[in-house]
Amino acid sequence: MKKSPALFYKSISVVLVTVILVGFVWISLVRINHRLDFSTLWAYKYRLWQGFKMTLIMAFASLLVSLLLGSVAAMAQKSRFLVLSYLAKIYIQIIRGTPLLVQIFFFFYIIGTAWGVDNRYLAGVLILSLFEGAYIAEIIRGGLESIDESQFELAKAVGLTPAKTFRLVTFPLLMARILPALTGQFASIIKDSSLLSVIAIPELTQITQEISADNYRLFENYFFLGLLYFVMTFAVSLITRHLERMYKHENSAG
Amino acid sequence: MKKILAVLLVVLLAAVFSGCSAEKDELVVGMELAYPPFETKDERGEPYGVSVALAEALGEYLGKPVRIENINWDGLIPSLETERVDVVISSMTITEERAKTVDFSEPYAHAYLALLVNRESPVEKAEDLNQPERIIAVKKGTTGHVYAQNHLTNATINALSSESACVTEVIQGKADAFIYDQLTIYRQNQANPETTRAVLIPFQESEKWGMAIKKGNKELLEQINAFIKDFRAAGGFEKLTEQFLAEEKKTFDALGFPWFFE
Repeated sequence: MKKSPALFYKSISVVLVTVILVGFVWISLVRINHRLDFSTLWAYKYRLWQGFKMTLIMAFASLLVSLLLGSVAAMAQKSRFLVLSYLAKIYIQIIRGTPLLVQIFFFFYIIGTAWGVDNRYLAGVLILSLFEGAYIAEIIRGGLESIDESQFELAKAVGLTPAKTFRLVTFPLLMARILPALTGQFASIIKDSSLLSVIAIPELTQITQEISADNYRLFENYFFLGLLYFVMTFAVSLITRHLERMYKHENSAG
Repeated sequence: MKKILAVLLVVLLAAVFSGCSAEKDELVVGMELAYPPFETKDERGEPYGVSVALAEALGEYLGKPVRIENINWDGLIPSLETERVDVVISSMTITEERAKTVDFSEPYAHAYLALLVNRESPVEKAEDLNQPERIIAVKKGTTGHVYAQNHLTNATINALSSESACVTEVIQGKADAFIYDQLTIYRQNQANPETTRAVLIPFQESEKWGMAIKKGNKELLEQINAFIKDFRAAGGFEKLTEQFLAEEKKTFDALGFPWFFE
Protein backbone atom coordinates (compact mmCIF):
# COMPACT_ATOMS: atom_id res chain seq x y z
CA MET A 1 0.00 0.00 0.00
CA LYS A 2 2.78 2.36 0.86
CA LYS A 3 4.33 2.01 -2.54
CA SER A 4 1.29 2.84 -4.63
CA PRO A 5 1.44 6.65 -4.40
CA ALA A 6 5.08 6.52 -5.45
CA LEU A 7 4.19 4.26 -8.34
CA PHE A 8 1.28 6.49 -9.27
CA TYR A 9 3.50 9.54 -9.11
CA LYS A 10 6.13 7.78 -11.17
CA SER A 11 3.80 6.72 -13.96
CA ILE A 12 2.15 10.13 -14.13
CA SER A 13 5.56 11.70 -14.51
CA VAL A 14 6.58 9.25 -17.23
CA VAL A 15 3.39 9.95 -19.16
CA LEU A 16 3.82 13.68 -18.71
CA VAL A 17 7.41 13.68 -19.93
CA THR A 18 6.46 11.56 -22.92
CA VAL A 19 3.54 13.85 -23.79
CA ILE A 20 5.73 16.94 -23.52
CA LEU A 21 8.53 15.52 -25.66
CA VAL A 22 6.31 13.97 -28.32
CA GLY A 23 4.09 17.04 -28.28
CA PHE A 24 7.04 19.33 -28.76
CA VAL A 25 8.31 17.40 -31.78
CA TRP A 26 4.80 17.11 -33.17
CA ILE A 27 4.14 20.83 -32.84
CA SER A 28 7.49 21.54 -34.47
CA LEU A 29 6.53 19.36 -37.41
CA VAL A 30 3.13 21.03 -37.70
CA ARG A 31 4.78 24.43 -37.61
CA ILE A 32 6.98 23.63 -40.57
CA ASN A 33 4.02 21.98 -42.24
CA HIS A 34 5.68 18.62 -42.64
CA ARG A 35 4.02 15.26 -42.59
CA LEU A 36 6.38 12.43 -41.73
CA ASP A 37 6.27 9.56 -44.16
CA PHE A 38 8.57 6.68 -43.37
CA SER A 39 7.19 4.35 -46.05
CA THR A 40 9.91 5.23 -48.56
CA LEU A 41 12.56 3.86 -46.19
CA TRP A 42 11.31 0.31 -46.47
CA ALA A 43 12.79 -0.03 -49.95
CA TYR A 44 16.25 0.55 -48.51
CA LYS A 45 16.04 -2.00 -45.71
CA TYR A 46 18.83 -4.16 -47.09
CA ARG A 47 21.26 -1.24 -47.40
CA LEU A 48 20.29 0.09 -43.97
CA TRP A 49 20.93 -3.31 -42.45
CA GLN A 50 24.32 -3.46 -44.18
CA GLY A 51 25.11 0.00 -42.84
CA PHE A 52 23.98 -0.98 -39.35
CA LYS A 53 26.32 -3.97 -39.40
CA MET A 54 29.16 -1.87 -40.79
CA THR A 55 28.75 0.66 -37.98
CA LEU A 56 28.85 -2.11 -35.40
CA ILE A 57 31.90 -3.71 -37.00
CA MET A 58 33.74 -0.39 -37.24
CA ALA A 59 32.87 0.51 -33.65
CA PHE A 60 33.75 -2.88 -32.25
CA ALA A 61 37.06 -3.18 -34.09
CA SER A 62 37.93 0.36 -33.03
CA LEU A 63 37.06 -0.47 -29.43
CA LEU A 64 39.57 -3.33 -29.41
CA VAL A 65 42.37 -1.40 -31.09
CA SER A 66 41.75 1.74 -29.05
CA LEU A 67 41.85 -0.30 -25.82
CA LEU A 68 45.28 -1.49 -26.79
CA LEU A 69 46.41 1.98 -27.85
CA GLY A 70 44.93 3.57 -24.77
CA SER A 71 46.62 1.11 -22.41
CA VAL A 72 49.97 1.60 -24.08
CA ALA A 73 49.60 5.38 -23.98
CA ALA A 74 48.54 5.33 -20.34
CA MET A 75 51.57 3.21 -19.39
CA ALA A 76 53.92 5.22 -21.58
CA GLN A 77 52.76 8.41 -19.95
CA LYS A 78 54.03 7.10 -16.62
CA SER A 79 57.27 5.85 -18.13
CA ARG A 80 60.57 7.02 -16.68
CA PHE A 81 61.91 7.10 -20.21
CA LEU A 82 61.06 10.73 -20.94
CA VAL A 83 60.82 10.49 -24.73
CA LEU A 84 58.14 7.85 -24.36
CA SER A 85 56.30 9.78 -21.70
CA TYR A 86 56.30 13.04 -23.69
CA LEU A 87 55.24 11.22 -26.82
CA ALA A 88 52.24 9.75 -25.03
CA LYS A 89 51.34 13.06 -23.43
CA ILE A 90 51.54 14.97 -26.70
CA TYR A 91 49.53 12.28 -28.50
CA ILE A 92 46.76 12.53 -25.93
CA GLN A 93 46.81 16.31 -25.91
CA ILE A 94 46.71 16.73 -29.68
CA ILE A 95 44.12 14.07 -30.36
CA ARG A 96 41.83 15.34 -27.62
CA GLY A 97 42.36 18.90 -28.72
CA THR A 98 41.44 18.58 -32.39
CA PRO A 99 38.19 17.62 -34.14
CA LEU A 100 37.81 14.05 -35.37
CA LEU A 101 36.84 15.35 -38.80
CA VAL A 102 40.22 17.07 -39.16
CA GLN A 103 41.98 13.91 -38.04
CA ILE A 104 40.09 11.77 -40.53
CA PHE A 105 41.10 13.95 -43.47
CA PHE A 106 44.68 14.33 -42.24
CA PHE A 107 45.31 10.68 -41.51
CA PHE A 108 43.44 9.28 -44.49
CA TYR A 109 44.65 11.57 -47.26
CA ILE A 110 48.11 12.48 -45.99
CA ILE A 111 49.47 9.88 -43.57
CA GLY A 112 47.49 6.98 -45.02
CA THR A 113 48.46 7.77 -48.59
CA ALA A 114 52.10 8.37 -47.68
CA TRP A 115 52.39 5.01 -45.94
CA GLY A 116 50.25 2.96 -48.26
CA VAL A 117 47.17 2.41 -46.08
CA ASP A 118 44.77 2.38 -49.01
CA ASN A 119 42.09 0.16 -47.58
CA ARG A 120 39.49 2.58 -46.30
CA TYR A 121 38.00 0.17 -43.80
CA LEU A 122 41.37 -0.46 -42.19
CA ALA A 123 42.14 3.26 -42.32
CA GLY A 124 38.77 4.02 -40.76
CA VAL A 125 39.33 1.64 -37.86
CA LEU A 126 42.85 2.95 -37.28
CA ILE A 127 41.82 6.60 -37.32
CA LEU A 128 38.86 6.02 -35.03
CA SER A 129 41.06 3.96 -32.71
CA LEU A 130 43.69 6.66 -32.60
CA PHE A 131 41.01 9.14 -31.64
CA GLU A 132 39.27 7.04 -29.02
CA GLY A 133 42.58 5.67 -27.70
CA ALA A 134 43.50 9.10 -26.35
CA TYR A 135 40.29 9.22 -24.34
CA ILE A 136 40.73 5.65 -23.13
CA ALA A 137 44.29 6.47 -22.03
CA GLU A 138 42.87 9.20 -19.84
CA ILE A 139 40.26 6.84 -18.39
CA ILE A 140 42.96 4.31 -17.55
CA ARG A 141 45.23 6.99 -16.07
CA GLY A 142 42.39 8.20 -13.89
CA GLY A 143 41.71 4.63 -12.80
CA LEU A 144 45.34 4.01 -11.93
CA GLU A 145 45.58 7.22 -9.95
CA SER A 146 42.44 6.38 -8.02
CA ILE A 147 43.97 3.22 -6.56
CA ASP A 148 45.09 3.91 -3.04
CA GLU A 149 48.84 3.76 -2.34
CA SER A 150 48.16 1.56 0.68
CA GLN A 151 47.10 -1.25 -1.66
CA PHE A 152 50.61 -1.38 -3.09
CA GLU A 153 52.17 -1.13 0.34
CA LEU A 154 50.03 -4.04 1.48
CA ALA A 155 51.06 -6.05 -1.55
CA LYS A 156 54.67 -5.35 -0.77
CA ALA A 157 54.16 -6.26 2.87
CA VAL A 158 52.76 -9.70 1.99
CA GLY A 159 55.73 -10.21 -0.32
CA LEU A 160 54.13 -10.05 -3.78
CA THR A 161 56.49 -9.62 -6.72
CA PRO A 162 55.75 -6.62 -9.02
CA ALA A 163 54.29 -8.98 -11.63
CA LYS A 164 52.02 -10.61 -9.09
CA THR A 165 51.08 -7.23 -7.67
CA PHE A 166 49.90 -6.20 -11.11
CA ARG A 167 48.02 -9.43 -11.76
CA LEU A 168 46.42 -9.81 -8.35
CA VAL A 169 46.03 -6.23 -7.13
CA THR A 170 46.37 -3.50 -9.71
CA PHE A 171 44.58 -5.15 -12.61
CA PRO A 172 41.40 -6.32 -10.83
CA LEU A 173 41.03 -3.01 -9.00
CA LEU A 174 41.64 -1.04 -12.17
CA MET A 175 39.20 -3.12 -14.19
CA ALA A 176 36.46 -2.70 -11.62
CA ARG A 177 36.96 1.05 -11.59
CA ILE A 178 37.25 1.78 -15.30
CA LEU A 179 34.90 -0.78 -16.82
CA PRO A 180 31.79 1.43 -16.58
CA ALA A 181 33.65 4.37 -18.10
CA LEU A 182 35.03 2.15 -20.85
CA THR A 183 31.62 0.87 -21.87
CA GLY A 184 30.44 4.46 -21.87
CA GLN A 185 33.28 5.26 -24.23
CA PHE A 186 32.01 2.51 -26.50
CA ALA A 187 28.79 4.49 -26.94
CA SER A 188 30.91 7.44 -28.04
CA ILE A 189 32.77 5.28 -30.54
CA ILE A 190 29.47 4.20 -32.07
CA LYS A 191 28.39 7.81 -32.53
CA ASP A 192 31.81 9.06 -33.63
CA SER A 193 32.00 6.38 -36.32
CA SER A 194 29.34 8.37 -38.20
CA LEU A 195 32.08 10.80 -39.27
CA LEU A 196 33.76 8.03 -41.24
CA SER A 197 31.09 8.75 -43.84
CA VAL A 198 33.32 11.53 -45.16
CA ILE A 199 35.74 8.94 -46.54
CA ALA A 200 32.85 6.98 -48.04
CA ILE A 201 32.83 4.06 -45.64
CA PRO A 202 29.37 2.58 -46.10
CA GLU A 203 28.31 2.79 -42.45
CA LEU A 204 24.87 3.95 -41.31
CA THR A 205 25.36 7.67 -41.79
CA GLN A 206 26.89 7.28 -45.23
CA ILE A 207 24.05 4.98 -46.28
CA THR A 208 21.50 7.45 -44.93
CA GLN A 209 23.12 10.31 -46.84
CA GLU A 210 23.06 8.25 -50.02
CA ILE A 211 19.43 7.35 -49.44
CA SER A 212 18.61 11.03 -48.84
CA ALA A 213 20.15 11.86 -52.19
CA ASP A 214 17.79 9.30 -53.67
CA ASN A 215 14.43 9.75 -51.93
CA TYR A 216 14.76 13.37 -50.72
CA ARG A 217 13.11 12.51 -47.41
CA LEU A 218 15.82 14.06 -45.31
CA PHE A 219 13.86 14.32 -42.06
CA GLU A 220 12.47 10.81 -42.04
CA ASN A 221 15.87 9.39 -42.95
CA TYR A 222 17.71 11.23 -40.23
CA PHE A 223 14.97 10.57 -37.69
CA PHE A 224 15.39 6.89 -38.37
CA LEU A 225 19.17 7.21 -38.34
CA GLY A 226 18.99 8.76 -34.89
CA LEU A 227 16.72 5.97 -33.75
CA LEU A 228 19.14 3.29 -34.96
CA TYR A 229 22.08 4.93 -33.19
CA PHE A 230 19.96 5.27 -30.08
CA VAL A 231 19.12 1.56 -30.13
CA MET A 232 22.85 0.79 -30.16
CA THR A 233 23.92 3.30 -27.53
CA PHE A 234 20.95 2.48 -25.30
CA ALA A 235 21.97 -1.17 -25.31
CA VAL A 236 25.48 -0.10 -24.35
CA SER A 237 24.21 2.12 -21.55
CA LEU A 238 22.19 -0.79 -20.13
CA ILE A 239 25.41 -2.81 -20.01
CA THR A 240 27.18 0.14 -18.40
CA ARG A 241 24.54 0.38 -15.71
CA HIS A 242 24.81 -3.32 -15.03
CA LEU A 243 28.59 -3.09 -14.72
CA GLU A 244 28.32 -0.10 -12.42
CA ARG A 245 26.10 -2.12 -10.11
CA MET A 246 28.60 -4.96 -10.13
CA TYR A 247 31.38 -2.53 -9.32
CA LYS A 248 29.42 -1.21 -6.33
CA HIS A 249 28.97 -4.75 -5.04
CA GLU A 250 32.65 -5.41 -5.28
CA ASN A 251 33.38 -2.23 -3.37
CA SER A 252 31.01 -3.04 -0.56
CA ALA A 253 32.31 -6.59 -0.39
CA GLY A 254 35.86 -5.33 -0.10
CA MET B 1 6.36 20.33 -8.97
CA LYS B 2 3.30 22.45 -9.74
CA LYS B 3 5.48 25.40 -10.59
CA ILE B 4 7.55 23.37 -12.98
CA LEU B 5 4.40 22.07 -14.64
CA ALA B 6 3.03 25.57 -15.00
CA VAL B 7 6.26 26.79 -16.57
CA LEU B 8 6.33 23.88 -18.99
CA LEU B 9 2.73 24.55 -19.98
CA VAL B 10 3.44 28.21 -20.62
CA VAL B 11 6.47 27.38 -22.72
CA LEU B 12 4.49 24.87 -24.73
CA LEU B 13 1.63 27.28 -25.35
CA ALA B 14 4.03 30.05 -26.26
CA ALA B 15 5.63 27.72 -28.77
CA VAL B 16 2.24 27.06 -30.35
CA PHE B 17 1.01 30.62 -30.56
CA SER B 18 4.18 32.43 -31.43
CA GLY B 19 4.07 30.41 -34.65
CA CYS B 20 3.04 32.05 -37.87
CA SER B 21 5.42 34.98 -38.24
CA ALA B 22 4.40 37.63 -40.71
CA GLU B 23 4.99 36.70 -44.37
CA LYS B 24 7.90 38.72 -45.65
CA ASP B 25 7.67 39.73 -49.24
CA GLU B 26 11.06 38.56 -50.41
CA LEU B 27 12.34 35.88 -52.72
CA VAL B 28 14.36 33.31 -50.84
CA VAL B 29 16.67 31.42 -53.19
CA GLY B 30 18.38 28.21 -52.06
CA MET B 31 21.69 27.10 -53.50
CA GLU B 32 24.80 25.23 -52.44
CA LEU B 33 27.63 27.73 -52.60
CA ALA B 34 30.20 25.08 -53.44
CA TYR B 35 30.21 24.99 -57.21
CA PRO B 36 32.29 27.75 -58.72
CA PRO B 37 31.80 29.70 -60.87
CA PHE B 38 28.05 29.07 -60.70
CA GLU B 39 27.44 29.11 -56.98
CA THR B 40 30.29 30.24 -54.78
CA LYS B 41 31.39 32.98 -52.39
CA ASP B 42 33.50 36.05 -53.05
CA GLU B 43 36.52 36.95 -50.92
CA ARG B 44 34.29 38.56 -48.32
CA GLY B 45 32.15 35.45 -48.05
CA GLU B 46 29.16 36.88 -49.90
CA PRO B 47 27.28 34.68 -52.39
CA TYR B 48 28.76 35.08 -55.83
CA GLY B 49 28.46 33.49 -59.25
CA VAL B 50 26.27 32.89 -62.28
CA SER B 51 23.33 31.54 -60.29
CA VAL B 52 23.54 34.41 -57.81
CA ALA B 53 23.35 36.95 -60.62
CA LEU B 54 20.52 34.94 -62.17
CA ALA B 55 18.65 34.92 -58.86
CA GLU B 56 19.03 38.67 -58.57
CA ALA B 57 17.69 39.16 -62.06
CA LEU B 58 14.72 36.96 -61.17
CA GLY B 59 14.08 39.02 -58.05
CA GLU B 60 14.18 42.19 -60.09
CA TYR B 61 11.73 40.69 -62.58
CA LEU B 62 9.35 39.74 -59.76
CA GLY B 63 9.89 43.04 -57.93
CA LYS B 64 11.07 41.31 -54.76
CA PRO B 65 14.28 41.64 -52.79
CA VAL B 66 16.38 38.47 -52.99
CA ARG B 67 17.85 36.56 -50.07
CA ILE B 68 20.30 33.74 -50.85
CA GLU B 69 20.28 30.74 -48.51
CA ASN B 70 23.38 28.55 -48.61
CA ILE B 71 22.22 24.95 -48.14
CA ASN B 72 23.97 21.61 -48.49
CA TRP B 73 23.16 19.78 -51.69
CA ASP B 74 21.06 17.06 -50.08
CA GLY B 75 19.13 19.65 -48.10
CA LEU B 76 18.03 21.70 -51.10
CA ILE B 77 14.93 19.76 -52.07
CA PRO B 78 13.76 19.29 -48.46
CA SER B 79 14.13 23.08 -48.02
CA LEU B 80 11.65 23.59 -50.84
CA GLU B 81 9.25 21.12 -49.31
CA THR B 82 9.35 22.85 -45.94
CA GLU B 83 9.08 26.29 -47.59
CA ARG B 84 12.37 27.44 -46.15
CA VAL B 85 13.18 28.67 -49.65
CA ASP B 86 10.95 29.71 -52.55
CA VAL B 87 13.14 28.52 -55.39
CA VAL B 88 16.33 26.53 -55.84
CA ILE B 89 18.78 27.81 -58.46
CA SER B 90 21.80 25.58 -57.97
CA SER B 91 22.82 24.12 -61.34
CA MET B 92 20.34 21.37 -60.62
CA THR B 93 19.73 18.86 -63.37
CA ILE B 94 16.09 18.11 -64.14
CA THR B 95 15.57 14.41 -63.47
CA GLU B 96 12.44 12.30 -63.41
CA GLU B 97 13.21 11.21 -59.88
CA ARG B 98 13.59 14.78 -58.59
CA ALA B 99 10.50 15.90 -60.52
CA LYS B 100 8.42 13.54 -58.37
CA THR B 101 9.19 15.73 -55.36
CA VAL B 102 9.51 19.23 -56.83
CA ASP B 103 8.44 21.14 -59.95
CA PHE B 104 11.05 22.31 -62.43
CA SER B 105 11.08 25.39 -64.63
CA GLU B 106 11.91 25.23 -68.31
CA PRO B 107 15.61 24.40 -68.66
CA TYR B 108 17.85 27.47 -68.65
CA ALA B 109 21.18 25.74 -69.25
CA HIS B 110 22.60 22.33 -70.03
CA ALA B 111 25.82 20.50 -69.33
CA TYR B 112 27.57 17.22 -70.05
CA LEU B 113 29.25 14.82 -67.70
CA ALA B 114 32.98 14.21 -68.04
CA LEU B 115 35.71 12.20 -66.32
CA LEU B 116 38.70 13.31 -64.31
CA VAL B 117 41.00 10.30 -64.57
CA ASN B 118 44.13 9.47 -62.61
CA ARG B 119 47.15 9.66 -64.90
CA GLU B 120 48.21 6.08 -64.18
CA SER B 121 44.77 4.61 -64.69
CA PRO B 122 44.10 2.80 -67.99
CA VAL B 123 40.61 4.30 -68.27
CA GLU B 124 40.00 5.98 -71.63
CA LYS B 125 36.23 6.30 -71.71
CA ALA B 126 33.25 5.92 -69.42
CA GLU B 127 32.60 2.28 -70.39
CA ASP B 128 36.09 1.32 -69.22
CA LEU B 129 34.96 2.10 -65.71
CA ASN B 130 32.39 -0.67 -65.65
CA GLN B 131 34.85 -3.28 -64.32
CA PRO B 132 35.10 -4.84 -60.86
CA GLU B 133 38.64 -3.52 -60.33
CA ARG B 134 37.73 0.10 -61.14
CA ILE B 135 36.98 2.63 -58.40
CA ILE B 136 34.82 5.65 -59.07
CA ALA B 137 34.58 8.79 -56.96
CA VAL B 138 31.35 10.75 -57.11
CA LYS B 139 29.81 13.53 -55.10
CA LYS B 140 26.87 12.25 -53.09
CA GLY B 141 23.54 12.81 -54.79
CA THR B 142 24.84 14.42 -57.98
CA THR B 143 23.88 13.23 -61.44
CA GLY B 144 27.36 11.73 -61.70
CA HIS B 145 26.45 9.56 -58.71
CA VAL B 146 23.18 8.56 -60.34
CA TYR B 147 24.92 7.80 -63.65
CA ALA B 148 27.46 5.57 -61.91
CA GLN B 149 24.77 3.73 -59.98
CA ASN B 150 22.76 3.07 -63.13
CA HIS B 151 25.45 2.42 -65.72
CA LEU B 152 28.65 1.41 -63.94
CA THR B 153 27.28 -1.23 -61.61
CA ASN B 154 30.35 -3.47 -61.76
CA ALA B 155 32.69 -0.86 -60.34
CA THR B 156 33.19 0.23 -56.74
CA ILE B 157 31.47 3.58 -56.26
CA ASN B 158 32.67 5.81 -53.45
CA ALA B 159 30.20 8.58 -52.74
CA LEU B 160 32.00 11.46 -51.06
CA SER B 161 30.60 14.63 -49.58
CA SER B 162 32.54 17.22 -51.50
CA GLU B 163 34.00 17.91 -54.91
CA SER B 164 37.46 18.47 -53.42
CA ALA B 165 37.45 15.07 -51.71
CA CYS B 166 36.59 13.42 -55.04
CA VAL B 167 39.41 15.25 -56.80
CA THR B 168 41.85 14.31 -54.03
CA GLU B 169 40.92 10.65 -54.40
CA VAL B 170 41.71 10.78 -58.11
CA ILE B 171 44.97 12.68 -57.60
CA GLN B 172 46.13 10.12 -55.03
CA GLY B 173 45.04 7.17 -57.11
CA LYS B 174 42.46 6.08 -54.56
CA ALA B 175 39.96 6.32 -57.40
CA ASP B 176 40.34 5.77 -61.14
CA ALA B 177 37.96 8.54 -62.06
CA PHE B 178 35.67 11.25 -60.80
CA ILE B 179 32.45 11.83 -62.71
CA TYR B 180 31.28 15.44 -62.80
CA ASP B 181 30.38 18.12 -65.29
CA GLN B 182 32.71 19.11 -68.16
CA LEU B 183 33.59 22.55 -66.87
CA THR B 184 34.63 21.42 -63.39
CA ILE B 185 36.57 18.48 -64.78
CA TYR B 186 38.33 20.80 -67.20
CA ARG B 187 39.23 23.24 -64.41
CA GLN B 188 40.40 20.52 -62.03
CA ASN B 189 42.55 19.01 -64.74
CA GLN B 190 44.10 22.41 -65.41
CA ALA B 191 44.85 22.72 -61.71
CA ASN B 192 46.36 19.21 -61.47
CA PRO B 193 47.98 18.51 -64.84
CA GLU B 194 50.65 16.16 -63.47
CA THR B 195 48.36 13.73 -61.70
CA THR B 196 45.19 13.77 -63.76
CA ARG B 197 43.79 13.50 -67.27
CA ALA B 198 40.45 14.88 -68.41
CA VAL B 199 38.07 12.85 -70.56
CA LEU B 200 35.74 15.58 -71.75
CA ILE B 201 33.98 13.70 -74.54
CA PRO B 202 30.28 13.60 -73.68
CA PHE B 203 29.12 10.05 -72.91
CA GLN B 204 25.45 10.69 -72.38
CA GLU B 205 22.68 13.10 -73.32
CA SER B 206 23.11 16.63 -72.05
CA GLU B 207 21.77 17.35 -68.59
CA LYS B 208 19.28 20.15 -68.46
CA TRP B 209 19.39 22.52 -65.55
CA GLY B 210 16.18 23.94 -64.17
CA MET B 211 15.05 26.08 -61.28
CA ALA B 212 13.16 24.01 -58.74
CA ILE B 213 10.13 25.12 -56.76
CA LYS B 214 7.72 23.48 -54.35
CA LYS B 215 5.30 21.12 -56.04
CA GLY B 216 2.04 22.71 -57.10
CA ASN B 217 3.07 26.36 -56.92
CA LYS B 218 1.69 27.10 -60.41
CA GLU B 219 1.82 30.88 -60.13
CA LEU B 220 5.51 31.05 -59.29
CA LEU B 221 6.32 28.42 -61.92
CA GLU B 222 4.65 30.46 -64.65
CA GLN B 223 6.40 33.62 -63.50
CA ILE B 224 9.77 31.90 -63.52
CA ASN B 225 9.23 30.44 -66.97
CA ALA B 226 8.24 33.86 -68.26
CA PHE B 227 11.35 35.31 -66.67
CA ILE B 228 13.65 32.77 -68.32
CA LYS B 229 12.13 33.46 -71.71
CA ASP B 230 12.44 37.18 -71.17
CA PHE B 231 15.99 36.97 -69.84
CA ARG B 232 17.14 34.83 -72.75
CA ALA B 233 15.53 37.13 -75.32
CA ALA B 234 17.23 40.13 -73.74
CA GLY B 235 20.65 38.50 -74.03
CA GLY B 236 20.97 38.02 -70.29
CA PHE B 237 22.82 34.72 -70.58
CA GLU B 238 25.43 36.22 -72.89
CA LYS B 239 26.03 38.88 -70.26
CA LEU B 240 26.43 36.24 -67.57
CA THR B 241 28.92 34.39 -69.77
CA GLU B 242 30.90 37.57 -70.28
CA GLN B 243 30.86 38.41 -66.59
CA PHE B 244 31.73 35.03 -65.11
CA LEU B 245 32.80 32.57 -67.80
CA ALA B 246 34.72 34.44 -70.48
CA GLU B 247 37.80 32.19 -70.24
CA GLU B 248 35.82 28.98 -70.16
CA LYS B 249 33.75 30.01 -73.16
CA LYS B 250 36.93 30.38 -75.22
CA THR B 251 38.14 26.94 -74.19
CA PHE B 252 34.78 25.31 -74.89
CA ASP B 253 34.65 26.95 -78.32
CA ALA B 254 38.18 25.79 -79.07
CA LEU B 255 37.34 22.24 -78.02
CA GLY B 256 34.09 22.38 -79.97
CA PHE B 257 31.89 21.64 -76.98
CA PRO B 258 28.40 23.11 -76.79
CA TRP B 259 28.05 26.02 -74.40
CA PHE B 260 25.88 25.97 -71.25
CA PHE B 261 23.31 28.48 -72.43
CA GLU B 262 23.01 27.49 -76.08
